[in-house]
Amino acid sequence: MNTSSSSWNCTVADIFAVLARWSVGAVFLYLGLNKALHPVEFLKMVRQYDLVQSSLLLNSIAAALPWFEIFCGLLLLAGVAVRGTAVMLIVMLVPFTVLVFRRALAIQSALAIPFCAVKFDCGCGNGEEFICRKLLENFLLIALSIWLLAGCGRRLCLRHTLMSCAAKTSPIGAGLK
Amino acid sequence: MFVVRQGMAHADCPIPLKDKIIQCETPVCHGTAKIFLEALLVAVIGATFAFGANLISPRGLALTRNYFPAGISRPVPAARDITSTNSPATSPAQLLAAQLQQQGLQSVDGRQAEQLFHDPRFQQGSIVFIDARDEQHYQEGHIPGACEFDPYYPEKYFSTALPVCQAAEQIVIYCNGGDCDDSESATILLRDVGIANRKLFIYTGGIPEWITNGLPVEIGGRNSGNLRSAIK
Repeated sequence: MNTSSSSWNCTVADIFAVLARWSVGAVFLYLGLNKALHPVEFLKMVRQYDLVQSSLLLNSIAAALPWFEIFCGLLLLAGVAVRGTAVMLIVMLVPFTVLVFRRALAIQSALAIPFCAVKFDCGCGNGEEFICRKLLENFLLIALSIWLLAGCGRRLCLRHTLMSCAAKTSPIGAGLK
Repeated sequence: MFVVRQGMAHADCPIPLKDKIIQCETPVCHGTAKIFLEALLVAVIGATFAFGANLISPRGLALTRNYFPAGISRPVPAARDITSTNSPATSPAQLLAAQLQQQGLQSVDGRQAEQLFHDPRFQQGSIVFIDARDEQHYQEGHIPGACEFDPYYPEKYFSTALPVCQAAEQIVIYCNGGDCDDSESATILLRDVGIANRKLFIYTGGIPEWITNGLPVEIGGRNSGNLRSAIK
C-alpha cells in the first residue's frame, strides 16, 4: 500500500471516528437531559429494576446518573478525556444492557409474547421502545465506545488525553519551582 | 503520584508499531493504567458535577427522603395486566385493594368514587378528591374540584391541601390507576402529617377509569370551571 492511499484511509477513518465521538456524545447528552428534566419519572423507572433496597442509594442513582450522562456527553462533544470517558460509558452501558435484557425477559415470560414484541419504558430517556431496537442501540453505543477507547477520534479534540505524555516526560518536580 | 518513564513523549516516544491500536493514529503513549486513571478522574469529577447539579436544580431529588413510603420493591408491571385476564376473584382491582388493606389503607372502586362525587357533601367540602399526579397531568385534566397534591414535592402543596383535608370527612386520593402507587404515597404522607386514616380512601382505578366511565374532568386549575365531559 502506498503512502497516499494509506493517508486517504487515515483521513476517512479519522472523519468517521470524530463523527462517532460526536454521535455518542450527542446521544448521551440528549438522554441525560431527558432524565434530568424529569427526575421523578426516572426515579420511578430505576425503582422498577429492584436494584437497591435503600432509599438513599436509589435516590442517589436517580439524582446523579442523568447529570453524569450529560457530563460524559459534553466531554465527548468537546473532545476532553475521550478514552477515560469511553471507559465510563462502557462501565455504564454494559450493566444497563444486561438489566434491560433481564427485565424484557421477565415481561416476555409474563405476557407470553415474542421477545422482540416486548415494548416498555426502560428508563433510558427515550420513552417506550421495542426491546430489540433498544438492545441494538446499546450494542452500537458500546461498539463505538470501544472504538473511541482504542484511540480514535483525536481530531477536533480540545484535550483528548488529560494526562499528556509531554507533560509527564518533563523531569519530575520541574513544574514545582 | 505516579512515576512516568523517560522516553514516552507523544511525538517521539519509541513505542513499537505493533503497539499502535489503530493504524491511522500517531504514536501515542498509551497504557491501561493511564486510561483507567483518566476514567477514575472522569468518574470523580463527573460525580461531583452530577450531585452538584442535582442540588442546584429546582427539580432535583432530595437524597435522604423516602419517596416510596409504601416500599421500594415493585413487581413487574406486566404482572398486574396479566391478572386482568383471570377470573373476577383475582381481578387487578381486588388484588390491589387486598394489598392496600394489608398496609392498613382503605380503597374505593369506580362506582363508589362516582357516588361520592355526586354526594351533596362533596359540594359542601365534606368529601374531597386529591389528585396525586404531577402538575402537568393535573392541568391536563383532573376530577372536578380535586385538590393537587404531588407526593414527590409535598412541601409545595401542604399549604393548600392540608386545610382542605382537615375540613373534610372523607378524602378520595387517586393517580393513574394500575401500577401507579403515587396515591398510596400521598395517602401515607397525609396520614403522617396527622390526617386521620379513617378519612383516607384510595381510588384504585384512578383517572383512566374515571374517564372511561364517562365522568367529567376539569382542565386547568382547581375549580376553573373548564369542564370536559369524557365520551364513554
